[in-house]
Amino acid sequence: MRTFDYFKPVCVEEALFLLNKFADKSKLVAGGTDVMVQWKKRIISPVALISLRNIPELNFIRMNDCLEIGSATTHRSLELSADIKSKFPAIYDAVSNIGSVQVRNSATIGGNLCNAAPSADSAPPMLVLDTGVNIVSSDGQRSIPIDQFFKGPGKTVVQPNEVVKSFSIATPPENTGMAYWKHTRRSAMDLPILGVAVLLSFDEDIKTCVKARIGLSVVAPTPIRARKAEEFLLGNVVNEASLDEAGKIAASECSPRTTIRGSDWYRREMARVLVKRVGLISTERASHFSKLES
Amino acid sequence: MGERLMDELFVGKSFARMDKDKVIGRANFINDITLPRMLHAKILYSARPHARIKSIDTSKAEKLMGVRAVLTGFNVPEVKVGFLGDQTPLKKDKVRQFRDEVAAVAAIDEDTAEEALDLIKVEYEDLPAVYDPIEAMKPDAPLVHEFDARGKPRRNNLLPLPWKLEAGDVRKARESSKYVVKDRFSTQWVHQTCMGTSGGIAEFDVNGNLIFRSVTNVPFGGKDRLDMFLKNLGLKGRSRVLTPYVGGSFGSKLDTDIYEFILVLLAWKTGCPVKIVFSRKEEFLASPPRQPVIATVEQGCDSNGRLTFRNIDMILDNGAYTSWGATTPSVMMIPVSSLYRVPNVKFQATCVYTNNIYAQAMRGYGNPQATFVIEQSMDQLAEASGIDAIEFRKINANVPYEKTPMDLKITTCPMSECLEIVEKRLNWSEKRNQKTSRGVGVASFLHVGGGARVYLSDAQGIIMKVDDEGKVTVITGGTDQGQGSETIIKQMVAEATGFRPEDVSIFQGDTEVCPWDVGTHASRHAFITGHAVLLAGADVKRKVLDLAARWMPEMIRFDLSKRARKDPNFQVPLLDFSPLMDTNNLELRNAEVFLKDDPENKHFRLPVAKILRRAHLVGTGKGEMVVAEAFYDPPNEMLNREGKGNLSCCYTFGAHGVEVEVDEETGLVTILNYVAAHDVGRAINPMLVKGQIYGATVMGCGYALTEEIQTNHGRVMNPNLLDYKILTAKDKIPIDPVIVEPIEPSGPFGAKGIGEPACVPSAPAIVNAIYDAVGVRIKDLPVTPEKLLKAIKEKKAKEQ
Repeated sequence: MRTFDYFKPVCVEEALFLLNKFADKSKLVAGGTDVMVQWKKRIISPVALISLRNIPELNFIRMNDCLEIGSATTHRSLELSADIKSKFPAIYDAVSNIGSVQVRNSATIGGNLCNAAPSADSAPPMLVLDTGVNIVSSDGQRSIPIDQFFKGPGKTVVQPNEVVKSFSIATPPENTGMAYWKHTRRSAMDLPILGVAVLLSFDEDIKTCVKARIGLSVVAPTPIRARKAEEFLLGNVVNEASLDEAGKIAASECSPRTTIRGSDWYRREMARVLVKRVGLISTERASHFSKLES
Repeated sequence: MGERLMDELFVGKSFARMDKDKVIGRANFINDITLPRMLHAKILYSARPHARIKSIDTSKAEKLMGVRAVLTGFNVPEVKVGFLGDQTPLKKDKVRQFRDEVAAVAAIDEDTAEEALDLIKVEYEDLPAVYDPIEAMKPDAPLVHEFDARGKPRRNNLLPLPWKLEAGDVRKARESSKYVVKDRFSTQWVHQTCMGTSGGIAEFDVNGNLIFRSVTNVPFGGKDRLDMFLKNLGLKGRSRVLTPYVGGSFGSKLDTDIYEFILVLLAWKTGCPVKIVFSRKEEFLASPPRQPVIATVEQGCDSNGRLTFRNIDMILDNGAYTSWGATTPSVMMIPVSSLYRVPNVKFQATCVYTNNIYAQAMRGYGNPQATFVIEQSMDQLAEASGIDAIEFRKINANVPYEKTPMDLKITTCPMSECLEIVEKRLNWSEKRNQKTSRGVGVASFLHVGGGARVYLSDAQGIIMKVDDEGKVTVITGGTDQGQGSETIIKQMVAEATGFRPEDVSIFQGDTEVCPWDVGTHASRHAFITGHAVLLAGADVKRKVLDLAARWMPEMIRFDLSKRARKDPNFQVPLLDFSPLMDTNNLELRNAEVFLKDDPENKHFRLPVAKILRRAHLVGTGKGEMVVAEAFYDPPNEMLNREGKGNLSCCYTFGAHGVEVEVDEETGLVTILNYVAAHDVGRAINPMLVKGQIYGATVMGCGYALTEEIQTNHGRVMNPNLLDYKILTAKDKIPIDPVIVEPIEPSGPFGAKGIGEPACVPSAPAIVNAIYDAVGVRIKDLPVTPEKLLKAIKEKKAKEQ
């Protein structure tokens, strides 16, 4: 019979000790919404399952000069955080549309990112926010930018002896708008056919783009940034026409696959359409915020 | 019986569901039942779509600790099962689809059974396979079955079920038609997706009789099939079917499925109770869904828009074996011949074996597919003749008391009224033809509403007994799959007998005790049970009043004199007891007997409990009890050789109207407004009727937009609830259910059946609305965003 030992460390140090002990025969688990599914499907068969659920230092949302989120913070906690909703609406858009409330009560942001599914909902917003991923091991700590975090479907730079501890996100400059859109066929319990996050920072006129970030999921083996489209928008006046062009460029940067969930042509087409639409929402949010602040 | 009773107390009222134990988690489903010494079964399915089985090595599995039996086609008797006898529970010579049962294990727990499956080695020799029914009809197609059930060689993949119906002269009518449209449509496999998956527990008692705990909605039909199976195995025992709570059926539990025969084999071989409950994945892979069809439709009308003829040819992908899916053309004939008034009709359906999964019954039983194709063709014909789609339907609407070309005798029929409701509530004239990405569409339906004589009997037996607590126990052969029949049975029994719903309890789910019933299918349960309740209820009432007339005077006298003894101030009134002695003067209501003409008389009123107690405990050896029984078999007809006959006592009608918005850049469809007008004869419980309409409509919307079993070379690619997309509570479809009550004379309390119909017209109404919105017609279900976007792009490219 298939079994595993289940460990519930209470601090990161203990988790790292267990990781060193069991090495590649272990698997970290937080919410379990991906790991347990993989275990049942026999994709993984670890000897030791190390839970990060009971480690307080991994479960927090801190707003100081920058935003820091503990890796074992549930999607539901993020969804219910007033700071996240008002200051980082792209994260809110993403975490409030994952699975169901029951799933979000269990699933964590670190788990979603470390699972590294091409369709991970939290990846596009974290990409457009230039998130720093803080990783610890018994040898010390390192921090890497999120656009270097994903290595392939289910693969990240995290080594078997490492734990992702938290995510650092700088407060965006003034006159910034951001949004995430999950393109699905039903309103709950669904994976995106395509996920799009856009972040736009503007000059004081709320027209000229001084910073552009576009994050896409399900269009490549990992969540990606559409850098050419970002470059095109930088310094440009943002309007429907320029966003339309950005959409076209972003679509050309995609290399989607045809699966039972959607065809390659449809995903590319949706990248074009949705980059424009999410860009417009971001622009609107930027102007809304600047009005609020002035 | 059809007359509305003036002073009904319980029927027609929205009583809340009485099966509260489900809500608090106390109901026992098959999953919850554990028996002493019980083993757990797992089934090994084929790894190939079409292959010879060269060998099966079970030696390692047999040696695994905890395994009690490993069965294959090689170590059990070869007994044919299924509607056409075209399969055995465990396959021996070859596999014909991925869901073919190759081996089965019984072990002390599920994990061990599953581990044992991994240890079974099957060697296959691949055969050429065929997955497309049209390919399978070609003369050189690989044969799915080389022999039929009797061992006669087969020359092609066609089933020996030539469904045909012909009325009038289609050829002549075509020539005289002013407008004719012809097109081809197709539908997909959809799954019933019940909350409760398939499962059962089989055990043999010491006398060799089989006790089968089953999720069937046809306990007596299931018992027949199990008895036949036992006989063919050479066993002497008989079977008893017990049905615990069932988490939905929607047709999926109509046939005795292969796993059930396998459970019997395992229980027989091990001598222990053996249980199986399907995982969701197994449910998608190995429980048969709704039949897909490819249909060619031709219809014509005259210059006034009157239908002249309808000609429909259907090809059904039968899959590798035959279950009830192959008989759905018998119900397709109803809309084909009788949805709207059409004098000349021709219908032909061909079922073809392929190496795909096979199909079973599902809500509507062929009607959703047929209505999907007819109602799109109706829109095309309306457009061709330049008549508004609703107007065109009204011109051709069915009318009350008319015989259709299939010899269905329509009684009450508010089809035009339903169409008008849709027209008004959707604001049709303003919303139609706007071409603004928003559009409205409509589709009607008719379905059996008064039972359906698909067997020689369409009957139900019922027993009622009254005890000396003044309570009524109803023992019925029917079952509840979650539709709420418990609640309406209590309402109807209370109404028919003069008790209150809370006085009524229901016993069902045991073929050893309950009287015979055909099964809870074809939207017949409320209708047939209602009639049986009326018959037995009248008898109960008569018997109680008869006892009352004989005992009440003496009992009242005794009570008065007792009171006088205790209270010296009490004067025994002078009463005339003679009216009490005639049952015609008595009435029974709220479980009390009183004088019909003098209900306020406080002396002449006694609870039934007291009267029954008196009748039971007479002390002289002449006690009596109140038990009544009825066996109601409706006056409907089986179809004759020509496919004609009045299948049901009455037919239910309705119309669905939908307003949609199409996102022309993404292909996503949003339902903005949904009017579902339904003729239910009379709503026994309006809230539960609405529940049926909501549930079935959402199912119909899933059929239209999201649900599809996707296959690749015979393999199901989406056996999970993530990729098989039923709609969720968050997909808020603004359904406006409208109950139309023409009071059906043939119905109990005026009611017609409502179990299936609301999932029938959703798909065509939605597809018609999409056409109105963006000018493209999707002829192949479901309407995925991809298909729709592609069609929109093609249309735009053509226009440029």
